[in-house]
Amino acid sequence: MNRYFLYLVILNMLINVIIFIPKILIEYRYKGAVMGVLIAIPIGIGMNYLYSHALNKFPGQGLPEILAHSKYRWLVNLHLGSIQIMWFSAGLITLLGFTDILSRFVNPEMPKLFLITIYLAAIFLIIQLPTKRVMYFLEIVLYLNTPLIGFIIYKTLTSEFLSWDSILEVGTHLFEKPSLKAMAAATYSFSGFTNLIIFNRVIKERLKIWNFIIILFLGIFNLFTTFFIPIGFHGSDGAQEYLYPWISTSDSLRLVYSPIERVLYIFLMFYMSISLMSISIHWHVALELLKGTFKEKENKKKNWMILAAFTCCAFAGVLFLNTVLLNKITAYWMILLLGVEVITVTIFFLWARRRTA
Amino acid sequence: MKEIVRSMEMPSNKVLSIKEDLKEKIMQSEDAVFKELHTKEKYIEALYIKTISDETVIQDYVVKPFFEITTAERFLDYLQSHPKVKPFENEEQTLEELIRGVAILFYQDFIFIFDSKVDRNNSVLDTTVETTIQGPQSGLSESLPTNLGLIRHRYPETTLKVESTTIGAISKTKVMILHDEKLVDQDVLRRVKEFLASVDIQMFQTGEQLLDLIKKSNRALFPVMLVTERPDRVAVNLAAGKVVLLVSGSSFAVVLPTVMKDFMASMEDIYQTYWVSIFLQVLRYVGFVTSLILPGLYVAVTSYNPELFRFQLALSIAGSRTAVPYPSFVEVVIMLFMMELLTEASIRLPKAIGPTATTVGGLILGQAATEAGLVSNIMIIIVSAVAISNFVVPINAFSFSVRIVKYIILALATCFGLVGVVLGFFMFLAYMVKLDSFGQPFLTLVQTKSSKE
Repeated sequence: MNRYFLYLVILNMLINVIIFIPKILIEYRYKGAVMGVLIAIPIGIGMNYLYSHALNKFPGQGLPEILAHSKYRWLVNLHLGSIQIMWFSAGLITLLGFTDILSRFVNPEMPKLFLITIYLAAIFLIIQLPTKRVMYFLEIVLYLNTPLIGFIIYKTLTSEFLSWDSILEVGTHLFEKPSLKAMAAATYSFSGFTNLIIFNRVIKERLKIWNFIIILFLGIFNLFTTFFIPIGFHGSDGAQEYLYPWISTSDSLRLVYSPIERVLYIFLMFYMSISLMSISIHWHVALELLKGTFKEKENKKKNWMILAAFTCCAFAGVLFLNTVLLNKITAYWMILLLGVEVITVTIFFLWARRRTA
Repeated sequence: MKEIVRSMEMPSNKVLSIKEDLKEKIMQSEDAVFKELHTKEKYIEALYIKTISDETVIQDYVVKPFFEITTAERFLDYLQSHPKVKPFENEEQTLEELIRGVAILFYQDFIFIFDSKVDRNNSVLDTTVETTIQGPQSGLSESLPTNLGLIRHRYPETTLKVESTTIGAISKTKVMILHDEKLVDQDVLRRVKEFLASVDIQMFQTGEQLLDLIKKSNRALFPVMLVTERPDRVAVNLAAGKVVLLVSGSSFAVVLPTVMKDFMASMEDIYQTYWVSIFLQVLRYVGFVTSLILPGLYVAVTSYNPELFRFQLALSIAGSRTAVPYPSFVEVVIMLFMMELLTEASIRLPKAIGPTATTVGGLILGQAATEAGLVSNIMIIIVSAVAISNFVVPINAFSFSVRIVKYIILALATCFGLVGVVLGFFMFLAYMVKLDSFGQPFLTLVQTKSSKE
């Protein structure tokens, strides 16, 4: 199912608004973000292609199944372990970020711990589904939300308050030395492919080349919207003032004839489901990898223990991290993620070539 | 010489003992009949229960020929070649058949089972539950052979396979499993048969009971089988490769496996033009979502995020709520409860009083409640919208489930506001994706079966 691959990548592109990417990019807008984004595109596409190409040699299998018969058990565990920590923390950052957004914009009086419980309930319901069902659900959520995304983007691009001059002004800083942080943040848009580690189970045929062409164009468009539209709305200097540039951007839009006048609410309702899905996908991968690490049979008790550990991490995150700290951590985490991705992709690509050669 | 022939015709000891056995087991009922007929050359004995056997059939096919055919051998030939006559197999099975209305004939050294079952309730009923404006108007009957005939009539394919089994320790209800051998998914068929074999129940009266039985095994909130009264729906589903169960004595057929799409489909979709049926489908889904989230959304918007709506609308909602002395969720719960009572009452009430109850309840109560300041005007609108849109769902069993889910979403909205509504809705979707009906996922976006991978 070729389209499933596309869904995974698109989901990551959508979620980057929550996971501080616009903020990081805008911070470095005069200091190499533009070049960073431009470099990130070929890197992202390249990794997409190499990794899915390598995994494609094992149709219908996830990484734990592929590596199940390896002799170097500790190496496999290290490999799976590092990915699963990265992926769990990806979900965690999204969860914490979005809880923060919700408590700022929707339910300011509600304690964050309370907000996060309902999220965890929904997430745990989804991550325990079989991989195939998670995919079906993702498909439904994306199709329900696509019209909304299209509508909001259309509204922003046609808005009279979008200042193209500001965008061009930032564009003139093209030839600055690229910033690593900005580049790492921009590659996150493409890193949905890593979900294939588990979701390759549902992809039984060869990925066609048009997938990567679509990803290329979507990625360029996505990075453009994430980065430049807030600048266009708030000005090249003003954009930096906001903690969540895109959410403030959506709040500057107004639907004159709709009963819901502020686009912010439509935007947030749409992101409630998208972030739910993104966290669930990441944590589903983490959960399945954890199950794959322990070779024993699945049992309910262990499952509950893993979920309890997830819950504890989420609660601890809510209690100890504030927005600014989370933002800073995320910027460094992005670099780490890029490193892990590059290493994983290279190792796996070479291994798969040797294996099947 | 004549003595020898006589002795050959006399029943053997084995047959005699079977006869005595059967008589002993059955004769204590008032309606059991044991009849002997004699002519000069031959005699025959018949054992049957007159309340469930058709005596005119016995009269026409056994008694009359018995007196018309003179020689003993000719009559034996007649019996052996008659289509309604089956040879004896074993005592247990014979007894089983006897209490279902066959007549047991003892002739010479033979025992015959003569099918004289009376087929009551074989009149075809009009559809009352799944009505359509156009298309066939008649439903199934309460008789199994008639139903099978109706379906065969609509589905003239040699690949249509009919198997039968019995369910129920006491009722021993005959259940027929129909499927198209060419189209059916063998895995599904196997699961259905396993499920039927695992059903442990005493009295099995109708296919709807299966819904409950499967629930006890996995506590599904939603029905995963479709119960229908329309032979045309059965035929369409057979052509889609589904398995159909017909239950003796019930005018409803059970279609397995069923997914969300089937519950949202009315037979009318086929009988309308393309755009009309698309419009109706969209209408149904919108109604479905409305009845699910509207009460929750009301609570979330009035109590948590009044700034969601543009301020004129927010003000008019708040204005209509000024007289209401309690929080919005109490208001919603009261009105929904009233509505549920009304719905229940109008189902149970005799047809003659039904409209009165709805008028009194719906119009007068609603009007009075707003004037007394107990609920807001907008609340009345919402409750009626929820009630009406709930009935847009064409299959009753499914719309009942939806009625329950809206309370869950309402509860989440009360606790978490807007987040509760949105996440509640998606949790509900995830739950439906999780459900499966005999191996088929209950809800997927593309619900056609993917090509065999």
